[in-house]
Amino acid sequence: MKKQTTSYKAKKRTVNIFVHVLLAVLAVIWIFPIAWVVMISFRAEKGSYTSSFLPKSFTFDNYKKLFTDTTILNFPKMFMNTLIIAIFVCIISTIFVLAVSYCMSRLRFKMRKKYMNIAMILGLFPGFMSMIAVYYILKAIGLSEGSMVRVALIMVYSAGSGLGFYIAKGFFDTIPKALDEAAFLDGATKFQVFTKVTIPLSKPIIVYTVLTSFLGPWLDFIFAKVICRANADYYTVAIGLWRMLEKEYIDNWYTCFAAGAVCISIPIAILFIYMQRYYVEGLTGAVKG
Amino acid sequence: MENKCAKRREAQGRPAWAECMDRMPKEIVCRKSGGMEDIMRKSKKALAVLMAATMTVGLGACGSKENGENPTPTPANAGNQGDNTEKKDVTLTVWGPSEDQNAEQGNWLPTMCEKFNEEHPEWNITFKYGVCPEGDAGALVSQDPTASADVYMFANDQIMTLINANAITKIGGDTAEYVKSSNSEAIVNSVSVDGNIYGVPFTTNTWFMYYNKSIFSEEDIKNLDTMVSKGKVAFPLSNSWYFASFYVANGCTLFEDGFNEAAGIDFGGDKGVAVTNYLIDLVANPNFINDADGAGMAGLRDGSIGAIFSGSWDYNSVKEALGDNFGAVELPSITINGEAKQMKSFAGSKAIAVNPNCKDPQVAVALARYLGSPEAQQTHYTSRSVVPCNTELLKQDSVKNDALVIAQNNTFDNTSIIQPFVSAMGVYWDAAVNMANGIINGDVTHDNAAEMTDSMNAAMNNNGL
Repeated sequence: MKKQTTSYKAKKRTVNIFVHVLLAVLAVIWIFPIAWVVMISFRAEKGSYTSSFLPKSFTFDNYKKLFTDTTILNFPKMFMNTLIIAIFVCIISTIFVLAVSYCMSRLRFKMRKKYMNIAMILGLFPGFMSMIAVYYILKAIGLSEGSMVRVALIMVYSAGSGLGFYIAKGFFDTIPKALDEAAFLDGATKFQVFTKVTIPLSKPIIVYTVLTSFLGPWLDFIFAKVICRANADYYTVAIGLWRMLEKEYIDNWYTCFAAGAVCISIPIAILFIYMQRYYVEGLTGAVKG
Repeated sequence: MENKCAKRREAQGRPAWAECMDRMPKEIVCRKSGGMEDIMRKSKKALAVLMAATMTVGLGACGSKENGENPTPTPANAGNQGDNTEKKDVTLTVWGPSEDQNAEQGNWLPTMCEKFNEEHPEWNITFKYGVCPEGDAGALVSQDPTASADVYMFANDQIMTLINANAITKIGGDTAEYVKSSNSEAIVNSVSVDGNIYGVPFTTNTWFMYYNKSIFSEEDIKNLDTMVSKGKVAFPLSNSWYFASFYVANGCTLFEDGFNEAAGIDFGGDKGVAVTNYLIDLVANPNFINDADGAGMAGLRDGSIGAIFSGSWDYNSVKEALGDNFGAVELPSITINGEAKQMKSFAGSKAIAVNPNCKDPQVAVALARYLGSPEAQQTHYTSRSVVPCNTELLKQDSVKNDALVIAQNNTFDNTSIIQPFVSAMGVYWDAAVNMANGIINGDVTHDNAAEMTDSMNAAMNNNGL
């Protein structure tokens, strides 16, 4: 009997050791590229290649250069451009996505099913397929030059976001309809139900929507490139980082490129940390009532 | 559960909300449905208004665009130009790389444009600047030539793309004469297609060798094989811009002289196989390093590598890395079957182009010529070490004794071929990279060299049909 328990313990322990070692290895594999980029961003040796795997000495100069040497690649400006665009996109697309999801989940109208199928099929096409068409449309309404480029980019990133309603709609479907009905009986309009009942109950999905729509402009390269063209004042960080790796700049800018990559994760991380608490809140509380 | 019910109800053609409504007091239902209809009516109206608005905006925008963009030179306009009493207002958009618009590096482009404006009192020019590196002009300008720069800088390998997109204009008259008279024939050819000149060249564009004088002597650098026997050499073999130099050395050709598209690429046969065999041995030599991801420059910095192959864009970094031991020189030769053969790099030029969609072609061409003039090239050289190509300027002492200028120009004159820009050249690049990678990772051996060389040659001549 005793023997059995020890062997069970031993078995459990070996399994645990194995699982933890595996998880540790996976964690290292997963974290390492990020850690490496952070290390490169503090590397003092110049150039894009070093003979040693780890940097020999560390410095803060890459960050300094990134934000002060603005004559060729104006990173602070690109950063601000992207931040402005991202904030607007985040607001507009969150409203779009939530509104569309609410309609799809709660309203019943003739085109609903068809619309959902159309949206699904449209979503299957890669976005850059319409890239050149989008450029010419923006040009026709005069948004392809000067400061309107920012407006154009905001439109490009947010206009189609309503199509991505599936996840939020799925979430809304889980909110009991009885709550809506109770509100209707109290004389609430559809809009009031949306803002006063559905939204407060959907914090996790709102966080998710806000984060994904905020991320878009930071990650997109292809639309920014096609729409900004020669308007260097309106470049987003993605174009700037790509420029740093071109043959004329790579030797001087490689470590700054890593620093830039680290920097763009900062606003995203701040937003996430700020919104994280709503993830936990979620449905607790309200449903009980 | 509730979802399932809703689904079943929907399947029966009766939406879930209808049932809810049934359960509601009549009054509310009436109000509700009335409200819905109302909303629908309203939304229809709104939609109509919206559509009308977008259409008018769209039309308005188109209309104004057309008015703005095609000011057909009416006789009245022409008259104005003639009497010269009034300054003509001109707006020119000029695109160039960001270094040329950088105050720390002399602000070359805006300075030159303002000077041009001062020298032409008959025009009152407002300049708009955009950032477009020479190598990107093909993609950026041809994306939408009607909304691109009037005057821009381009690398000559983009010329066919630009011509096909109707984004570059032929240059004639005085300016064409100036280009022909002030540049070497090779440079003139690099911006000509079918005998027409398409740009005003301002510099050459090629790669050559940087070396560490403490590792290699003047004698060593004449032959690559001598070099690899004495010290480490990094060469970007897996970059197809550099790869061809070995094959061209042994008499392989690209489109004959680079301009005959029908001739195709000739990298096959015994001469090609000999080079492949040579490269297999070269790669096996521990002193040969394939320069990828900046390995060459890093080696030059820490002294482990004695020579790299690169261009003027790395001049400052190399100078800083090597200090007094800095050396720059044209390409070495290689020994194939006991004979010394001269390596030859791809060379091209960078030039100023004029957009055919430009409103004031006369002003634009004059500006292009001015930006390619000896004074502009001189300023470009002093501010950013852009090697000039004007033959008169190259004779001046201040220019001709510069190591960078000597290396680049000797390479251009003696150890290079003009990089072909015929459309069929497009398939060369990937085929070359594949072969280079095969040689580096050992897939190509002495046993299958002949076969692999032939398949590379076939791939390079594959027009995709």
